Amino acid sequence: MVSRNKSNINSFRMRLFYPRAIRFLPIVVIMVILITLPLYASSYIVFVAAIALLYAIVAAGYDVLLGYTGQLSFCQGAFYGIGAYTSAILTVNYGWSFWQAMPVAVLFVGLISAIIGYPALRLRGAYFAVTTFFLAHFVYLIFLNEVSLTGGPLGFRGIRPPEPIGPLSFEGIANGYLLILFSFIIIFILLRMLVNSNIGLILKSIAQDDVLAESIGINVAAYKLLSFVISAIVAGYAGTLFAHFFGILHPTTFSWFLSEMVVIMTLVGGAGTLIGPILGAGIVTFILEFLRFAPEIRYIAWAIALIAILMFEPKGLMGLLKRMGVR
Amino acid sequence: MLKVMGLTKSFGKLVAVNNLSFTVSEGERVAIIGPNGAGKTTTFNLITGHLKPDRGVVEFYGRNITGLKPYKICRAGIGRTFQIVRAFPDFTVFEHVLVGAISRYGPRAQMDLLKNQAENVIQKLGLSAKKNTLVRNLTIVDKKRVELATALALKPKLLLLDELMAGLNPTEIDEYIELLKRLNEEDGITLIVVEHVMRAVMKLCNRIIVMHYGTKLAEGTPMEIATNRDVIEAYLGEGVTYA
Repeated sequence: MVSRNKSNINSFRMRLFYPRAIRFLPIVVIMVILITLPLYASSYIVFVAAIALLYAIVAAGYDVLLGYTGQLSFCQGAFYGIGAYTSAILTVNYGWSFWQAMPVAVLFVGLISAIIGYPALRLRGAYFAVTTFFLAHFVYLIFLNEVSLTGGPLGFRGIRPPEPIGPLSFEGIANGYLLILFSFIIIFILLRMLVNSNIGLILKSIAQDDVLAESIGINVAAYKLLSFVISAIVAGYAGTLFAHFFGILHPTTFSWFLSEMVVIMTLVGGAGTLIGPILGAGIVTFILEFLRFAPEIRYIAWAIALIAILMFEPKGLMGLLKRMGVR
Repeated sequence: MLKVMGLTKSFGKLVAVNNLSFTVSEGERVAIIGPNGAGKTTTFNLITGHLKPDRGVVEFYGRNITGLKPYKICRAGIGRTFQIVRAFPDFTVFEHVLVGAISRYGPRAQMDLLKNQAENVIQKLGLSAKKNTLVRNLTIVDKKRVELATALALKPKLLLLDELMAGLNPTEIDEYIELLKRLNEEDGITLIVVEHVMRAVMKLCNRIIVMHYGTKLAEGTPMEIATNRDVIEAYLGEGVTYA
């Protein structure tokens, strides 16, 4: 346990050796690299980066639920998929533009998550987690079997990129990537404002002791539902971006595997830090691509990674960095 | 202000609270005493909604609050502390009390108001020096203090304190008695305490309710209770007189 004193000394040392501007340098460098990526990287790299950013959005949203409110769930893949399919169906089958379909799809995900979260969140701990696991599988079976609606195992084709806004086009990998990057930055800022607000403090109190939270007048059930719905609509929004960036949807993309991945990203990076899950998303996406030639090895890699994290640094990558004195 | 009528709660075959009735008026300092397992904590849990009674009614300012969710009962104006200390370990003392103020005034209240409210309570309980300490690094005694501070940040009208003084030394007990008297007299908070420290009970409270096997054995002023034969036999043991 890092005591207050020690961390004070650490921050003092930081201030002594690195002026304020330099502490922001890594963020600035990363932002510049990300924004200029399409200029020098191959379209394959840009494509993988876009997928990583989409996962980062989902994982950051999920951190509100797992890291800040302390509720373990396994259904972000379902909300990601509902967002993707809703937007795809509205644009392709009904001729809506992306800018009409996207908000409707996000609202629809919010509605579904509220309907499911309201009864499910009455369960606690593992019971809640198992319920969400089966929800994710149920939604996957709908994607797979409702052929008339989703195309079933043949996939859903012909999804167009978002319509241009004035001079801004979203066609092609580079432009799609920039839209995703822009969305990622906006969502990150919004989530950061949320977790640092008074509502964030209430969520953190629920994660630590929900009996005490309830007894000091906090409507625990309502705040749990709020954080469940927030994490769902963030995933749903990422899903709509995915659909119009990728152009084709296939049910296996939204199987239980994706939901597990989001949990692993969040834990590997460090739940309750918001930045941690984003780093986790980057690492997991990279390893997924790296092991593309041997999909079976992925499962073993995950098992080892997860056990190692739980054994050596339960607070994830961010916990490790903090222990090394980087703030 | 608080009216308890015919409260009954069983766990399996054990009747923890049996047809208990009492009233508390505004401004009183009431103690509930009794041997271990007499049903004192269960009574608190029934009043604050952590348990639902099998039978009986709890009224607060004439409003039936029986079986409401704990957060609603808290918002009605009943605060509490727990027998086994409960606290948010990863908060600083300031954050811990602040979350109480946020709960009382809503998350959209002015930040200055919330911070002032938290600062006031922290100062009142003598926690200013530990304001930025993580709650997990505090002693049990200080954790209890933080729990009380958080309950006070909610501006309760009635406060239920469950063995607040267990494990304290005589000086600390005297400090607490003074503090609780001040809260009662200056801030108008009605108190119901469950306490084993008889010295504190006798000094602090103007009325005592004695429970035994879930029922009310006796009720009266400290002097009446101290000389009541039934109480002496059941609670203090036969042949012992309270000095």
